[in-house]
This record gives sequence, structure tokens and C-alpha cells, in this order.
Amino acid sequence: MLNPILNGITMKQILLKILRDSNKWSIILLTIVLFVSIPILSIAFNALNGPGESWGHIVHNMLPNYLKNSFWLVFGTSMLTLFFGISSAWIVSRYQIPFAKQLQWLLILPLAIPSYITAYAYAGFFDYAGFFEKIIGFRVDIMNIYGLIFILSISLYPYVFVASRAFFVNQSNNIIEASKILGASERKTFFKLILPLARPAFIGGLILVIMEVLNDYGAAKYYGINTFTTGIFRAWFSLEEPETAIYLSVILLVTILLFIILEKKQRKNTAYFNSVKNHTEVRKLELSKKWRYILFFVAIVPFLLGFVIPLLQLLFWAFLTYKDVFTTSFFTIALQSLSISLVSAVCTVSFALIFIYASKWNRLQFLKSFEKIGVLGYAIPGAVIAVGILIPSLFLDKSIVMFFKNNLDIKIGFLINGTVLILIYAFIIRYLAVAYSPIEASSLKLNNTLVDASKLLGKSNVFTFFKIELPILKPAILSGCILVFVDVMKELPLTLILKPYHINTLAVKAYEYASDELIAEAALPSLFIILTGILPIVFLNRLISKS
Amino acid sequence: MKKILSILLLSVLIISCKSEKKEPVEKEQEVNIYTHRHYKPDQELFAQFEKETGIKVNVVNASADELIQKMSLEGEQSPADVLITVDAGRLVRAKNNGLLQSVKSEFLEETIPSHLKDEDNQWFALTKRARVVVYNPDNVKAEDLSTYEALTDDKWKNKILIRSSSNIYNQSLMASIIANSDEATAVKWAEGIVANMARSPKGNDRDQIKAVVAGEGDLAVVNTYYIGKLLNSKNADEVKAGEGIKVFFPNQEGRGAHVNVSGAGVAKYAPNKVNAIKFMEFLASEKAQKVFAKANYEYPVNTKVMPSELLQSWGSFKEDTLPLSKLGENNKKAVLAFDAASWK
Repeated sequence: MLNPILNGITMKQILLKILRDSNKWSIILLTIVLFVSIPILSIAFNALNGPGESWGHIVHNMLPNYLKNSFWLVFGTSMLTLFFGISSAWIVSRYQIPFAKQLQWLLILPLAIPSYITAYAYAGFFDYAGFFEKIIGFRVDIMNIYGLIFILSISLYPYVFVASRAFFVNQSNNIIEASKILGASERKTFFKLILPLARPAFIGGLILVIMEVLNDYGAAKYYGINTFTTGIFRAWFSLEEPETAIYLSVILLVTILLFIILEKKQRKNTAYFNSVKNHTEVRKLELSKKWRYILFFVAIVPFLLGFVIPLLQLLFWAFLTYKDVFTTSFFTIALQSLSISLVSAVCTVSFALIFIYASKWNRLQFLKSFEKIGVLGYAIPGAVIAVGILIPSLFLDKSIVMFFKNNLDIKIGFLINGTVLILIYAFIIRYLAVAYSPIEASSLKLNNTLVDASKLLGKSNVFTFFKIELPILKPAILSGCILVFVDVMKELPLTLILKPYHINTLAVKAYEYASDELIAEAALPSLFIILTGILPIVFLNRLISKS
Repeated sequence: MKKILSILLLSVLIISCKSEKKEPVEKEQEVNIYTHRHYKPDQELFAQFEKETGIKVNVVNASADELIQKMSLEGEQSPADVLITVDAGRLVRAKNNGLLQSVKSEFLEETIPSHLKDEDNQWFALTKRARVVVYNPDNVKAEDLSTYEALTDDKWKNKILIRSSSNIYNQSLMASIIANSDEATAVKWAEGIVANMARSPKGNDRDQIKAVVAGEGDLAVVNTYYIGKLLNSKNADEVKAGEGIKVFFPNQEGRGAHVNVSGAGVAKYAPNKVNAIKFMEFLASEKAQKVFAKANYEYPVNTKVMPSELLQSWGSFKEDTLPLSKLGENNKKAVLAFDAASWK
């Protein structure tokens, strides 16, 4: 500002530099960034208007409680998921225990059950005249914050399990052997070496857990725990102040972002690298008979708690109610659910791929930093994303309708809203992070020599991608696909708000029953969700083991 | 690869086939329903309506909150013709947000009692549910009970079971208390109930009844509709729980027991207004009301139709004739009062 001429020159130089360095990938990247950030921007823009008139009331009466409960939920669930996830991952990858191979994928299965369904199942299990009372003889109250921490932990620990196991299996052998040669005990090796080194891996899983915990609505509401998210819904629907709800969710979002940034920063201070190139798999330790069974028991407990017990409860309910629930329309709904999830998964993954590679091939540094915006959607409650999408898309739709009406005198309906398109768009925004993370991680590990060789031979970026990178990335792409598929199968708030007529999903069906207090009737659609989740998870595990 | 592609193509086909049908074709007679009700008898009634009139019924199911939000965002272009909710409060909210319109229908005006409809005929109740006290007859005698207000008495310390204040039926009950007294009294009442609660609020109405039977408390405040559901559960233990309690209608000496309704209104920008009115008249007709009464344990609003045998077995009762619009007007005050009393 001191020297306008100089300033002008620098501006001009910057512009010229941008023009020089930009390529078609810059434009594609910019388009995608815009496409992805529309809902997020529209939420942020709305939040600028400030909260509604009840804000003072909320801060005074409710906020301390929301903060306290959410904090303890996140803290308790983090501790418990880390314990379940890391211990079982270490046991199945390090020791020779019975059924180690099966446990590798059995332990992921709780992911197939939506956590609110697990919450309902456990409430039924511990209910008056429930199985627990019938078998053990007394009742335990599970519907409190400790119960909720338990429920969320046993249904979310697989995120930590998968991440830690991948690390234990692929990275740790040399370290273990070096440590052993230097005379360290098994315990010391684990706590002083393996655990600190595995941190980036399990923290990645933990962040997903935390986002899921903060996003949970169904379980917390049923268990009577007021959290930030139940508060968002209360402000929105009971106090009729959407602006307050959006304000609250932006606070939540910023907190999550700060947390992620802090973690990344701290991680940067410690360098993690493993210089040895040819990793060998961990050699499994043989154990005495006693320890074999003790460790087997420790490893199988999370699976029993997170999958077998809720499944048995659901099977019992389904057995009671299937006659009423299982009709021909049930098939249609199941088919629609599957199709929507499949299409969304493929779209999301393609999107993530274009996103990652457009960012790689574009030469403008400042554009690359926008890349992370794609991950934000996962941190925003589904219902808030729905509003973030409805506001701009309705504006667009209304403008189109008005244009046709005023200029061409044709009356048309909405082109975007109330179609499957908008629903799939919403899923892309919500689950981009889920597809993005494994593919990005994989692409960073990719050996660049092949790619460079191909480029030196005069092949284009795209050609090289399809011939070299894509085949190598295939496992990561498939796992991204499967994770998104399972997530969309379970998704509720977005689907409820954005789904078109005549399209129904199993999750919505289960919700309809549950919200009418027909929880037993909700069991059958839930079982179908679980079933469709199991197959891809098993498949995913095969893929990970192979690669 | 080919396999994957063909599966994908098939999926796209499945979705698009289904969605093509729903494009509003103007020549075809249809009515678009935004409804919070997703009960089996409703679906049967919709099918019957289609059969009788040839008007196709398109249904969007979601919670009333989400439907109202959707309608207000959609504005003039909203495809909604009829909004159906399971409480009066949200119909009033829809009206206040300018989402409904007045309709002229002699049949509806004659059939539905005046306190069960909007004064400007913007919405009409279709079914009723009473919020009653249920009690464990081993520990409590009916003579011990009188009014909602009397539940704050010290003798009920650690005895009352009631769900969270985020539930609309509790909010409506509170709104009726505010309408019958004032906010300060209402906060005091809520504090009294909180002090007498047997446990911190959680679960749904069914869970409160089961907790009474399990001995966690002696009485619960619940909706009659859910007692019916419990008694007709597929789970024998739930039926036993339903049989373990007795129903008491409070405030019979005074204003009467609090009732809430499920109701419907015609959307402000309804593209098929005539069909929408026809549809609502159909739902209020004796034929449809019988289905509601019989299959769904709700009290019919059409006075020519008797409630189901189960509901009759609880006895007839005097209902609060406070205009239901008051419930909606006081809803926000009710939520604030709950918060002030730390009713979770």
C-alpha cells in the first residue's frame, strides 16, 4: 500500500505467474473445490448472520451441559476404542492364537451395524424382561452416559483396529527384531517402540471415531444424553431457530478442525519413517496354552460385544415381527438401497480420484491447499449438510423455474431437488473423506520411478494414470468404494431430508419403525443393512491381506 | 470390469426407473402428501383413496420438522399438497410460517369439533391421543391421583417416570399448562416433576411403562397410543408389561385430560388443491376414521365413530377443550420452561 506502483507491479506479476503456471488441471481442481465447498460455504455464510434470539438462553442453561457431555463422550469413547482396537489388532497380528485368521475380519464387522441400532439392541438386551435379566437374574441400567460410551466404543473401535493392524502387519517386523536383539522385553518393545510408532496410524482411525461420536444423534437421544448434536437438533426443531442450530454446528466444526490441525502439527515435530524398504510380515509368536486362550479371549470380546450380542437381539426381534414387516415392498426398498449406495460409492470414489490427481497435476501451489476442504463434509452433521445443500440448490431450481415461466411461459417442476441426483451429490460431500483418505495414503506411498519413466517416454498424465497408477491403486480404490457403500447404506438424516418420492432406503424404513416406538419391527430392515455391510467388509479384508 | 460396469448400469436403471414415475405429470390426477405418519393403516387408506378416486397418492415420509423445513425452503414451487403431522404444535408452526392455506369444506367444518381445528380452517385434526398417567396398581390407588399439577406433590418423590423434554408430547402438555396458568407456574411445575422423577429422563413412552412394571417408579406419564401399541406387541413380555399397569385420566374435575392430535393441512402453494381437500375429507370420513380407530389405537375425531374396544375399556373421559392452536403458540415457551427447570 506504501507504493501503489510497486504494488501494481506485484499484483500484475502474481497474475502473470498464475496464468503461466495454470493448466487445465488447475481449472478442473478449482471447479471441484467449488462444487464441494458450496454446501459448506452456504452454511458458513449463514453462520455469519449470528445465532437466533435464544442464544443467550442456550449459553446460560444448556451449553455447559452440552460441552461437558460431549467432552466425556469423546474422551471415554476415544480411550475405549483405542484399547479395544489396538489390543485386538496387536494380538491378531503378533501372536499365534486360535482362529487368528478369521478374527482379522470378524473384528471389523461391528462397522456394519449403525451405532443407533446397536444402542437400541442393547437397550432391549438389558431391558425389563430382556435377555440379560432372564439369563443373569437382575437388571443393569445401560441407558446413561457410561452405557452410551460403551455402545459407541464397541461399534466404532474397528476404525482404530483396521488402521493399527495395517501398521502392525506391514511395518513392525524390523523394529521388533531389532528391539529383541538388543534384549528388550516383549512388553517394553510394545510400549516403548511399537505403540509410539503406530501413532499416526491409530490417530487416523481415532479421528474418524471422534467425528462419528460427535455426529451421533439417534443413540444419544434415546439414552437421554444431551450432546452438542442433540442440542443442534433441539435448537433447530424445538426452538425453531435454524440459525442457532447452524451457529452451533459451525462451533462444533471449528473445534474439530482445530483438533485435527493440532494433532497434525504435533505429529510433524516427530518424524516417523521406516527406512528399510522390503518389509516382511510380523513373525508370529508362539504362546503357552494358557496365554493362547487368554489372548484369544481378549481379542474376541470386542467382536462378541459389538456384533454378536446386538445381532442376536435383532434376530430375536426379527423372528417376532417378520410376518408384518417382510412384504414385497421390502424387496423394492432393499434393491433401491443397494443401488443408491453402489452408485454413490462409485461417484464418490471417482470424485476423490479426480480431486487427488487434479491437485497433483496442477502447478499452482495455493490451489493445492484447498484440497483439504473435501474432507470437511465428514465432520458436519448430516442434517446440517442437507440444509447447506438445500439452500443453494433450491435457489438454482427456483431461478430455472422462474426463467422458464417468465421467458418461455412454460411451467416446469424442480429439475434438481427431489431427484436422486441431489441425494447422490449430498453423499459425495458427506463421504468424500472416507474415499479420499485411503486413496491419498496409497498414492503417496506409490513409487514414482515408474510414473517418471512413463512421462520420460512422452506419455501423458492421464495415460500414465490409467496404465500405471490405477492398477496399483486398485485395492485402495476398492476399499474406499466399500467404506462409502457401507456408510451410505446406514445413512439417515441426509436421506430423510433429500430423498425423492418413491425411493426409500432400509435405514429410513428402520427409522420409521423405531420412531414410532416399534423397535422390534425395525430389526428386519436393520438386519438387511448389516447383511449388505458384511459381504463388502469381508471382501475388503481379503483385499487388504493380499496387498 | 465388465461385470462391475453392468451391475453399475443396472443400479442406475433401478434408481432412474423409479424416479421417472414421480415426475409430476399434470394430466394425471395426483396428490402429494408430506407426512410424519408412517403407519400401516395409513398406507392402506392411501391405497383405498387411490382406488376410489383414481387420484394417485405420492408420499414423502419424514419427521414433521424436516418436512416443514423442506416446505419453507421450497417456497412457491413446493410440490406438497397436504402436510400431515402427529401433533398440533407443528401444524401451528407450519401455519405461522405461512405454509398452509385456509380451505372451504363444509364436511370438515361440520365433522371436526372446533377446538380440534384451526380457527382459520388451515388445519384439521384427524385423530386424537390423550396424555395420561399410568400407574402400578400394587402400589398406587386411583384415588391417590388427581391432576397433572398434583404430581409435584412430595408423596411422589422418586416415583415418577417421564421421558425427555425434547419429546413433542411433553412439550404440548407443558404448553397446555402454560395456557392454563402462566410461565412462572409452569417452570415451578416442571421443577416439581424433576424433583419427583424416579430416574433421569430417557427412552420412549413404552420404556416408561416397562420401567413402572419393573418397579423403577410407581407412575408414568404416557400417550394412550403407545399403551395400545404395547398391549399389541409381538413380544409376550411387552404385552405383560402393558397388562401390569392401569390408566388414569387426570384433571377430570377440572379442565380435562390433555389431548394431542394428528392432523393435516393443505399446503399454501398446493398444486393439486382440489385433490388435497378431497383427500382430507376422505381421511375424516367415517370409513377412514374407523380404520384409524381400529388399527392404530387412536381416538377418532369424527364423533360418529366409536374408539376401539381397548380404548373404550379404559373408560370415557373428559378432554381439555383448550384450542389446540394454543399448544403451538406456547411451544417455544414450553421448551424454554423445561430448560429453566433442567428437565433433560
